[in-house]
Amino acid sequence: MSKEAKTSIAILVAGLLLIALYWFAPEKTAQKKQASITVEEKIILPKNAPEVYQDIPEVQSYKKDIREMVNRGEAVLPLQGRELDDGAQKTQEILLKDQEFLKDTMQDGQILHNDMMRILPAIVSALDADAKQVCQPHACYQAEKYNFVTNVTTRAIVDVRNARVLSVQRYQNMQPDISLRLARIARAIALNAPEVKQELGAKPSVTDVSMANVRGALQESPCENSAHLCVAPVFADHSRERALWAIVDLTELKLVAAKWTRLGKTTTPARISERSLQNRYIMENYCQKNTILERNGWKLSYRLTGSDGLEVIDVSYQGKPVLTSAKIVDWHVSYQQEGAGQLDTTTETYMEGRRVEFVQVGDGSYFFGYNDAMGCPMFSTSVVLPFNAPQIRKLDNGFVLMQDYRNPKWPMACNYRYENRFEFYDDGSFRVAGVNIGRGCGDNALYRPVMRIDMALGDREKFYTYEGEWKQWKQERMGRTKDASLHEESKYLYKIASATDSRRGYYIEPNKGQPHDESRGDNARIFATRFKPEEGDQDLLTLGSCCDLENDGVERYLEDNESIDGENIVLWYVPRVQNDAREGHEYCWADTAIDASGNLVVKEWPCVVGPKFVPIK
Amino acid sequence: MLLAIVVAVAVYQKNKAVAPTDGEEKSAGLGVFSSSADCTRLPQFLGRLKIPQPVLIDLSQKRFTGIALHYGQNYEETLHPEVWGKYEHFGTYALNEQGDIYLSPTPFISVRPTTFDLQKNIYKLDSKTGALSVFMRFDDVHPSASNPYGVISLAYDCEDQTLWVSAIDETDYQSAKGVIYHIAPDAKKILQSVQGFDALTILPLRTGKGKFLLAGSARDNALYAIAITAGVLSSPPRKLLELPATNERIRKIRITGNNQLELQAISFSYTLLAQSTSRDRTYYDATWDATSSEWKMEKRE
Repeated sequence: MSKEAKTSIAILVAGLLLIALYWFAPEKTAQKKQASITVEEKIILPKNAPEVYQDIPEVQSYKKDIREMVNRGEAVLPLQGRELDDGAQKTQEILLKDQEFLKDTMQDGQILHNDMMRILPAIVSALDADAKQVCQPHACYQAEKYNFVTNVTTRAIVDVRNARVLSVQRYQNMQPDISLRLARIARAIALNAPEVKQELGAKPSVTDVSMANVRGALQESPCENSAHLCVAPVFADHSRERALWAIVDLTELKLVAAKWTRLGKTTTPARISERSLQNRYIMENYCQKNTILERNGWKLSYRLTGSDGLEVIDVSYQGKPVLTSAKIVDWHVSYQQEGAGQLDTTTETYMEGRRVEFVQVGDGSYFFGYNDAMGCPMFSTSVVLPFNAPQIRKLDNGFVLMQDYRNPKWPMACNYRYENRFEFYDDGSFRVAGVNIGRGCGDNALYRPVMRIDMALGDREKFYTYEGEWKQWKQERMGRTKDASLHEESKYLYKIASATDSRRGYYIEPNKGQPHDESRGDNARIFATRFKPEEGDQDLLTLGSCCDLENDGVERYLEDNESIDGENIVLWYVPRVQNDAREGHEYCWADTAIDASGNLVVKEWPCVVGPKFVPIK
Repeated sequence: MLLAIVVAVAVYQKNKAVAPTDGEEKSAGLGVFSSSADCTRLPQFLGRLKIPQPVLIDLSQKRFTGIALHYGQNYEETLHPEVWGKYEHFGTYALNEQGDIYLSPTPFISVRPTTFDLQKNIYKLDSKTGALSVFMRFDDVHPSASNPYGVISLAYDCEDQTLWVSAIDETDYQSAKGVIYHIAPDAKKILQSVQGFDALTILPLRTGKGKFLLAGSARDNALYAIAITAGVLSSPPRKLLELPATNERIRKIRITGNNQLELQAISFSYTLLAQSTSRDRTYYDATWDATSSEWKMEKRE
């Protein structure tokens, strides 16, 4: 073989080797590109109450017009003159007197808020055959109104020349394109949203915002699971090739979410939704990592769990450990019914997405219900999902960390809303609280939140109950708050302290109605068990029976009757709270009503349960 | 010169393999298709029980756990022996030429002690006897509290009498680790398994340009196609179309006509499914317009 041939073969082999290396090399460029997309697609959820939008002049004027309209006994806010040509003006006059068009504007004698959204010359090709015949020679108009209470769009075709309504059609759960006035209001809300200002670095001007994605046809709305009228104004930042999309809820007149995206055809979202943005934000910020909070001498981490709600971990006060973990692992929900003899349990029963369990009791009645797990909105086994992100609010003498969990259709029947609350006070005391805001399936619900509290008072702890003097629990056991008649300082029924330093510990004050939140007491069972990692240190699936009132689910951890004298102790606190739907006595309840503006409002009667922990002085 | 050509081809081929799977080219290359002749039949035990056709296979889990068959006028009669509920809930089914029904499990509403284990299997309702049994177990499938799903979907391939099965158990928020299995049912043997795509539903499709496995993604609102060459999945998933709502996922695909698909969409976020009701599902007709080379989507009211 010649030297040239050898050289050629060597070059060819080397080349093939290089090709092989190139072929199997990792895709660094693609990975980098992906990472940069993730950074740019930042999601922002509102941290301010909706009241911040009430002072916006456009919002005030709109609300005033609605109130005056309802006071006049009218239900449809007409389009303003500058949105209408002569034919559209005439169409509006005809429709505002038409019984069929207005048929869905009253409910039980109450006016429901409707807005006329747009009136345009009808596109003849889109009409049915009968309408086409009339509209070909004449001028016809198409009008759309939206009912804010029922989430229904009504579309009418009007023969203006003959002053005749040709057709009226209603579209359930659909929203129309919005009026110019509502577009201005949406822009004003977006421009004034504190979260938008913060993201843009300054208050944007009206020229910075466009309404590019206002709908041209009936579509589902991007917020409140398509039950509200929402739009998404967009702020383009051409210099950095990005845009901020703000989802504005025009039913409640507030910002519900925002998202940065890159500019460009392939990255501009065709549709964005409040729910998907909330899910992503919560997953990335609270389910995938812990958040550290330092305030008023307290330091703690918190996270959302897969099925045990909001969990606080590694809590310390003024540098001293207080809690290893606290969370609500479950809400047992049960209802009592008569007629156990007629009960048919051969097939499974489901109510609003839950499998119903039945437990017969001796008196001919039975309990039915289910266990509600609260958890992350994705990759979890929870049924009640987080609504917005964890919130931190100031209290008079401390602060509260809370997470709202809701079924999507709350406050409709058999949908639930719970809050996990951790109140931290400036004197070093704290409260683990569960809040129920109805609505449930009836007026005889019994709720039992199962709270797991793992104190951090050293590896060795002791637990006591007050019976005129403090008596130590030596073995795992259960106690009832309602059985107690004696309390230390008239408040404290239990205490937990370090086994090596009795001054390092906490009194436990059950709620007997004293926290001035109109609560009716905890009526709780308390369990003290020896710490075991498999007993709730990680996420617990639903624990025990919803409806066996003699069994809270924690009993399984007492079976070995182990010593807790000088052990790492876990407290389980299970309040029992009965809802009440009687007028004037509502408790753990929610209802809807039509307000003076013809809009749907939710009335809430929360019940708050849970013990307070006060440092031993 | 030869080396330069080889290098150029290699660079082109590699870039082609890892090119973004959506964008301008997203629908090109699938080719025209039609509803091909169906090789499957209904179970033979229906004849023995003198149950008239048509028969509706009910996996809605609304009134019956597992599988139920409805028949008669307005489907008012129901066949649902209690044992058909013993493996809890099913999500999808596929018939074969003999009338056997293969079933994929699904967790539904509540988790019980047995739920995770049941997600590791595919099940078979025997055509002749009506007996329901575990057909095949996937020991590498591991559902958990942070993702209760395992085997999630299956489809029968009339061309080679095989099963396509998808599982999404090990996937998490950060990355898709779903697996698509190709199964030889006679030998109960896995012919191929490909990891990295979460398919909520799958369907083999023969088109003018070859054979593809259509897959509705569990992670986004899109339909993908994976090329099948000589019975083997041979390309990365390529995005064909997107549903208009970002939170919807394609749960079922049906070929309804020439170049036409029916797509059933649900909300899906790797949490437990709520009760199936018609209002929680959305149906779309997706039609491939060869003239304009694009998919036309229409939502059914």
